Amino acid sequence: MSVRGIVAGVRVWIAGALVAALLVAVLAGTGARASIGNARDRLIETVESWRAPSFAVPAGWPKPVYDFSGNPVTRAGFALGRRLFYDPQLSRDGSTSCASCHQQFAAFAHYDHPVSHGIRNQNGTRNAPGLFNLAWQPALMWDGSVHHLEVQPLAPISNPVEMDESIEHVVAKLSADDTYKKDFAAAFGSPGIDSQRLLKAMTQFVGTMVSAGSRYDRYTRGEPDALTATERDGLALFRARCASCHAEPLLTDFSYRNNGLDAAPRDRGRETVTAKEGDFARFRVPSLRNVALTPPYMHDGRYDTLEQVVDHYADTVQPSPTLDPQLAGGVTLDAAQRAALVAFLKSLSDERFVHDRRYAEARR
Amino acid sequence: MHALSFPVRLAAAGSLAMAAVLLAGCGGGGSAPAAPAPVLELDQVWAGKPFALNEAVTTPAGEEFTATRLRYYLSGFRLRRADGTWFEPKTDAQSSEGYVLVDAAEPASAKFALPAAPVGEYSGLEFRVGVDDPRNNAGAQTGALDPAKGMFWTWTTGYIHFKLEGRSPASPEPEQRVTLHVGGDGLSRTVYLLFATKPLKVAEGLQPTIHVVVDVASFFGGEVPLKLADTHTVMDGPHAVPLADRYVGLFRVDHLHHEPAAARP
Repeated sequence: MSVRGIVAGVRVWIAGALVAALLVAVLAGTGARASIGNARDRLIETVESWRAPSFAVPAGWPKPVYDFSGNPVTRAGFALGRRLFYDPQLSRDGSTSCASCHQQFAAFAHYDHPVSHGIRNQNGTRNAPGLFNLAWQPALMWDGSVHHLEVQPLAPISNPVEMDESIEHVVAKLSADDTYKKDFAAAFGSPGIDSQRLLKAMTQFVGTMVSAGSRYDRYTRGEPDALTATERDGLALFRARCASCHAEPLLTDFSYRNNGLDAAPRDRGRETVTAKEGDFARFRVPSLRNVALTPPYMHDGRYDTLEQVVDHYADTVQPSPTLDPQLAGGVTLDAAQRAALVAFLKSLSDERFVHDRRYAEARR
Repeated sequence: MHALSFPVRLAAAGSLAMAAVLLAGCGGGGSAPAAPAPVLELDQVWAGKPFALNEAVTTPAGEEFTATRLRYYLSGFRLRRADGTWFEPKTDAQSSEGYVLVDAAEPASAKFALPAAPVGEYSGLEFRVGVDDPRNNAGAQTGALDPAKGMFWTWTTGYIHFKLEGRSPASPEPEQRVTLHVGGDGLSRTVYLLFATKPLKVAEGLQPTIHVVVDVASFFGGEVPLKLADTHTVMDGPHAVPLADRYVGLFRVDHLHHEPAAARP
């Protein structure tokens, strides 16, 4: 057994012993049943927090785009990022946090909301995407308008229909809060709250959200039984018909394409960023990881189910000048193939990621 | 980078005296510079008269315009030596040093020290209006580059290099608003100003100041004057190219000034 193994073993043992000791204390002390659940939650929280947050590249994955060497992940920096992610103070009226539209159970997408739903009950124009594996994403947003992970939070914070706040004012609000003063000092080694520290801490939180634990991943790492026969058929179809854009292992090639949703698209998509005609109605190819957890689908959230999505590619691709040539005429898929494809897409859910308590709201 | 390039330049110059000057200026890194850093003083004018926010003027296209905000970044300062080589200060990717945000609402922002330069004579100054592409894409920054300064686009990544806002009866926008924001990759512009009449001297005990006139009217002028009736709202990179090409003409050297430096502690 390696030294690391021994240390880990001892840690687990200590954790177990503490859990037992604390449970005994709780049971002996109050006897109240309600508090047992509460104490158990707090214990789980404590034990989970010992798993230090870190950033690791899964085996066989490419080099990430975001370089953590300029923003080393620390326990305190990560904890601060986590606090900020769940803090509605980042919005103008204290109503809306990042987590309002990025829910962990939905792989940090906005479950059941076609477009993001922000402050004062306003709707945005695009579907809030899941958040995971962002360190590999060269640009963010459906149109790739944000080029760097660190500055990404500035967009929803200042968008009038999302959080409608200015970063300047957020920094002022946090600077007036003694607990934040303490958290920032702990995260960066000296007192001071500014936008750079805020953004770097948030990046430590969202940038370390790595999702590579689906059954599909276990299958590709040499566990043939991780996928059923139907799912394996679906994977073969996926590789033949879908993976030219949804490239493995991240299940996106990070390009921008028009997938034929409309003959006369209303949202100009990437053209708003590049001002190039050829980018009209092109949107970022999203990763399909956790896709079964992130309905609805497409940049405008028009489809509620994976079946509808697959049917779109097979039956309803609309021609338009910027339609991706690979989709012209649609993708030929019979009923059995569609079912296999959907079965495969459902194997892409990473249950461990969506239940990782380090990414849930902290109890304070 | 400089450690490598300087010997090459020295060989070309073939001057030992020059070498001593250069090494004194560049060597050590941590040591205090031998001479006071040149100061750049910007005199913002409108066609020869002092430029002021909230005062109506007439543009070269004959339109009335009242500026309410004028802010721009200057960066990438380097000085040209008499022999044609450049003194280029070291930059630190982690620091916003060398990036200056000039704000017409804050007169103090129009006068600032340039990076300390080695003792010698210089024939010109080059700088960038705006923020360079690498820094534009480098993530969260501090100081002059703090996004809280209001010069960073949030709906798309990138610094606003140059921001001119105001009102004009020519604008069809609500409240006659004029919003000219030039920003994003590829839209900073480099300006070279030649010290035509005499060189800039950097020496111990001497405080050199470069007085530069920034004629805001020239932004609206040129061969094809800017018409606010047509161009009143520009807030994205691709449509700002014609505007970016205008701000280069804003700057001209008025005069250089050398005076005894205050005794340094």
